[in-house]
Amino acid sequence: MSYKELTVWTRGIIMDKEGRDIVNSISAAARLEGKYAQAMENYVDNPDRTNAPTRKYCRVSDGVIEHELTYENEQPNIVVLVEGTMVKGWDYMRGMPPGGTLVINTHYTPEYMIRFVPGADRLAQLVCVDAAHLADHKWLYYRLGELGLDRLSTEGAAERNKMVAPDIAAPLIAAVVKTTGIVKMESIEPMIANKRAFEMALDNLHIMPLNPVAA
Amino acid sequence: MSTKGTHIPDRLKIPFAGITPAPTQAKGQDLFPTGNWRSIRPVYRDKLPPCNNACGTNEKIQGYLDLVKRGKYVDAYALIKEDMPFPSVTGRVCYHPCEQACNRGKYDEAISIRAVERFLGDLGQALTHDVVKAGKPNGKKVAVVGSGPAGHSAAYQLARLGYKVTILEKSPKAGGLNRGGIPDWVLPQDVLDREIERLVELGVTIKTNVEVGKDVTWNELKKNYDACVLAVGLTEPNSVRAKGENKEGVLYGLPFLRDIGMGTSKVKLGARVAVIGGGNTAIDCAREALRQGAVEVTMITVEANPQEMPAVPEDLHDMLEEGVELVHGRAMTAVLGKDRVEALELHRARFSGAINASPITVNRETPAERFHVDNVIIAVGQRAALGWLPDEFKSERGTIKIDRFGRLGDTHFFAAGDVVQLGSGQPLMVVNAVGDGKRVAFNLDKVLRGEQLEPRTIPVDVIFDLNRMNMTYFPHFPRVHQAVLAPASRRKTQEEVIQAFSEAQAVEEAARCFSCGTCNACDNCYLVCPEPCIARPSRSNGLYKILVDYCKGCRVCIEECPTGCLEGVPELDFDTGVVRMDTAFAISPGLHGRQAEELRNLAERAPKNI
Repeated sequence: MSYKELTVWTRGIIMDKEGRDIVNSISAAARLEGKYAQAMENYVDNPDRTNAPTRKYCRVSDGVIEHELTYENEQPNIVVLVEGTMVKGWDYMRGMPPGGTLVINTHYTPEYMIRFVPGADRLAQLVCVDAAHLADHKWLYYRLGELGLDRLSTEGAAERNKMVAPDIAAPLIAAVVKTTGIVKMESIEPMIANKRAFEMALDNLHIMPLNPVAA
Repeated sequence: MSTKGTHIPDRLKIPFAGITPAPTQAKGQDLFPTGNWRSIRPVYRDKLPPCNNACGTNEKIQGYLDLVKRGKYVDAYALIKEDMPFPSVTGRVCYHPCEQACNRGKYDEAISIRAVERFLGDLGQALTHDVVKAGKPNGKKVAVVGSGPAGHSAAYQLARLGYKVTILEKSPKAGGLNRGGIPDWVLPQDVLDREIERLVELGVTIKTNVEVGKDVTWNELKKNYDACVLAVGLTEPNSVRAKGENKEGVLYGLPFLRDIGMGTSKVKLGARVAVIGGGNTAIDCAREALRQGAVEVTMITVEANPQEMPAVPEDLHDMLEEGVELVHGRAMTAVLGKDRVEALELHRARFSGAINASPITVNRETPAERFHVDNVIIAVGQRAALGWLPDEFKSERGTIKIDRFGRLGDTHFFAAGDVVQLGSGQPLMVVNAVGDGKRVAFNLDKVLRGEQLEPRTIPVDVIFDLNRMNMTYFPHFPRVHQAVLAPASRRKTQEEVIQAFSEAQAVEEAARCFSCGTCNACDNCYLVCPEPCIARPSRSNGLYKILVDYCKGCRVCIEECPTGCLEGVPELDFDTGVVRMDTAFAISPGLHGRQAEELRNLAERAPKNI
């Protein structure tokens, strides 16, 4: 039986919706495939503070998920960092079993980013995707575009768009699905609003193979 | 908690578990490092202000203006003396390329940098001991030929490096162009004398009445000294190649000024004087002619209008105030008269080409004009007299041939100043000669110490764009103008035309400086940081520190930095500053982890323990 946990680390307010889109769309796709899935946000992280690191969780299983009283993922198989700088600040590798996958939104190469990853020996692959660039952020002001920050992807009144994955989330979903196969490509693709970024990301992943676990 | 491979600095570990103060409580900040919220890090990175960049000797102008603003006049004087041996001279004579470049000029009016420099120079002259000391003697002897701006500067820097310097000067008094090319009403002789005294106090020997090629030969220089700096300047006046130029009453610009400056002038000018030429020397000649007794002075230039004249607009304005007439678009083709000049023959002419070595197109089809004069002063540039120089080092421009380090081939001879800069496209200014002398002195030092010479570094980041600063912090404020003698009263005296700043004026003017791109310890970042994560032991440039464990990268300090010296650099460009936490709030294992553990064990526990 296959049981996988996915944790998304994102930044409060400014990139909150990106993280939510990732966990929601993957769990919805899994349910369409007949799997059991959960998706939730960690409100204790206080996502209403700009830039504060917040987590979104997703669990996909072939059987019933009995883990219903807690929502913190204890053993994430897949970790997504929606903003690249988070690689320096948080113990996102905590509890990851060997053979995990780390997906980072950054324009740096995996060879550069690996130096910041704590306990990289648990990773089967490190995936870097320049999601901010692929999603083509014309509306970003200052130099936030270069940093991969989406200033307008806010919760609530200022939210730009009610579509699922209209920008940075789309390439990240593509990266997760292509490199881990957690759900099928054809079940998740119809949900994604930014089809162009999703498809471009499939050809523009920087994958660094590390320590695969024998099946 | 699995912290395998993670790094939590000891200083951030919780002393005892269970009590975690909120960020707003005492010491709460210590336990709540928000540094990992950051995706950009503020970095203090000083840029080059445009004034420093434009200055021929790269004086640290922003630095001394800042010190003047704070009342640290002697420190400011010491800073200026690093690059400039005689601020009291350049504070009077400099054509201030810095003020043309000043960013404040795009905003309201440029800062009177020259006037502040003069204030500092005069202050330095009043000190009983100079702030500059000679370097530890290294036993090497260097000759400097010429005591003009370039020679003075080279000798000064070499003395500071510990060389035994001898200046060879062909005139009876040291000073070169500072003495012979600049009239008394711009630069009083006693000011220059005092600066030369300061140079002698540094241990420099000045031998006057020694002319290279006559009293000392090339080979003697080679034999008697470890190295030599040639700063001989341009001594020979150019002629206009007009007929009858050898008649009595025809004078040349620089010798005319030089003889007055050296006190050896026997010239008596008539009532009507014409000056040929449109440069700065011509302007000085015209104004000096008035003071030498001329009643009516006319300046005859080839340029079609005042804007095209290769002169500083301020000086031109002052000259016109004193009543000098301008005639444009004429060239002198002949000097008429029996033995003595009585009139000039002028033709319409057009100027085309560079400032130096100008090709002039004379229109001889129009009838010649006759212009009555008693004297004519020809000031159309100078050239070097290099008869003593080996031919291999002469360039086709009539200057000394040097490599990009100011060196003559592989010899220990170096050259600096106008004698190498003529025709190089660089305007011939005192400050450029000083800068040249300084750089050549440093290169000479490297050669004698056997070090590798490095080409001049190109300034990488000069702030020209006002948008890189926060202009809301700078109200418009008019320039403090120097007092000037009334035109009518100054026409006949040798008194200084432009007056010095008072202390209050100097401070007021220095306070107008934007401090472009350079931290001036304004404390703004320290005050606006909301975290607060900017620390400083005392208020001083270079002592501000960003506490990277706490900085959230909110950009407030970067946006609010008035001078634009703070920059946001992507955090991922740094290997340092890694502060790992398990969750957003706590450094210890998350509350949820503990709750989950308890909940998992729930079934195994006896009901009474719940």
